[in-house]
Amino acid sequence: MSVPAGFGVLAHGVGARSDLPIPLFYAYAGAVAALVVSFLALGLLWADSRFRGDRAGRVIPLRLPAWPVRVLTLLLALYTIGWLAAGPAERNAGPYLVYVLFWVGLVPASLLFGPVWRALSPFRLLPGRARRPLPPRLGYWPAAAGLLAFTWMELVAPEPAAPVTLLVFLALYGAVQVAGTLAYGHAWLERGDPFEVYSTLIGHLSPIGRRANGDRVLRSPFDGLDAIEPAPGLVATVCVLLGGTAYDGFSTTPAWVAALQSGPLGRTGLGTLGLLAAVAGVALLYAACLGTAGLIGGARGLTARFAHSLVPVATGYLIAHYFSLLVIEGRHGLLLAVGVPAEADQNAVAPGTIATVQVLAIIVGHVVGVVAAHDRSVRLLPPARAVSGQIPLFVLMVGYTIGGLTLLL
Amino acid sequence: MRRARVAAAVLACWLAAACGPLSQTHHNPGNSHEVATAAPSGTAEAAITIAHGQVSPPPGWLEVAKGRQVTITVTSDVADELHVHGYDIEAELRPGVPATVRFTADLTGVFEVETHGSGLVLTQLAVR
Repeated sequence: MSVPAGFGVLAHGVGARSDLPIPLFYAYAGAVAALVVSFLALGLLWADSRFRGDRAGRVIPLRLPAWPVRVLTLLLALYTIGWLAAGPAERNAGPYLVYVLFWVGLVPASLLFGPVWRALSPFRLLPGRARRPLPPRLGYWPAAAGLLAFTWMELVAPEPAAPVTLLVFLALYGAVQVAGTLAYGHAWLERGDPFEVYSTLIGHLSPIGRRANGDRVLRSPFDGLDAIEPAPGLVATVCVLLGGTAYDGFSTTPAWVAALQSGPLGRTGLGTLGLLAAVAGVALLYAACLGTAGLIGGARGLTARFAHSLVPVATGYLIAHYFSLLVIEGRHGLLLAVGVPAEADQNAVAPGTIATVQVLAIIVGHVVGVVAAHDRSVRLLPPARAVSGQIPLFVLMVGYTIGGLTLLL
Repeated sequence: MRRARVAAAVLACWLAAACGPLSQTHHNPGNSHEVATAAPSGTAEAAITIAHGQVSPPPGWLEVAKGRQVTITVTSDVADELHVHGYDIEAELRPGVPATVRFTADLTGVFEVETHGSGLVLTQLAVR
């Protein structure tokens, strides 16, 4: 007998368990490793930019027609909506399909295969011709807003796993994407579909990349990261991912749980403030450090041009917070979705394994972010100031990493 | 270059000092957990009261080693249903009547103990 999640404060929208705190030793080892790597990067890494972004990589000549998989995704989406609309109140697979297999599953899928939601998205079955050009000022802002809305539903909404909540969200999401695509063509989906932006950003870390001209390439993840084009709202999008995941870690601490259910604002009010504060805190730290880097380095307009270095950090946070959910609840969701009455093993992954994956994800994300930021600094800052100009970036990365490790404690 | 190195070293000292609060985390056993009362025998017990929608003691952590017994006694001023997540153990709560659930902690992780009607988190059970 499984009771539907959706009561009280659940860490990830669905799921009966959350992770144990990592051992203190792991946190210190991780923090020391992050510091050491950052120092080495500051002093010892190359003095001339090496990453070639979109030009790098070896083209894979294989081209497959995309529509069959998109039709399949559409059928799977309808199956999920069917579960939500007509499924039983108990043991409903719908929330697991959305929160675990789709939302969390996109992370490993994109890391392995590149921008997968772009390849799978059923919205790309719509005609791609634009009636009018997408205003460049819009940038990634629609995606940032969509990701914030999804994160709010997952972590703050009164009943995140209730089918009604999910159906309302999916209806709004679908309506916005169809309207955007009909007006601006497929260019809208590239910037306005929150899940495509999420998958594509993470997919820049994949060895299988996609160039701006559509070629599939095998390339180093560093070149992939370097290929992220700065645009309005990119920083906001990455900060929503980082801040939202940070709030996920923070929201189960005893003090916050007590405040949520005894405070005057009510659970949803205080939860909304907490989520917004987490995103704003991440963004303010970023803006302050980049502003300082610009002052020291004597360069302007750096803010959007370093946003790519936060993508691995955010990916590390996502893996650290959702790894066990995908392995344990993902299996549970699959069993429910295909109608097998078996129960998933809640002890499938040992606590030590989970802690190791969590710390490694944060540290690897940190290292990749530091290296990406280093390469960008030596390209953009004058050589005499390239090292000193990196110090604020270094403070930023170490701050995010220690923050990320603290949230796992 | 040299000046940058010195600046970096100063920064490292500051950061190392700033790392200090890592050791003051809220999850250490026996540290600010008002509900955590792991007895020498290794069992975990909690007695929780709900009155006017407030949980007392405030929701904390109840730590227990895997395989040990857990006993949770809840007294609510309204009719409600007690639920231990993950273990999927439920008990009916009648106004003013203490209800006790006993089980063996055989799943590792952190599990919420909550009420279904009022949707309150009573404590979080941490099984290591």
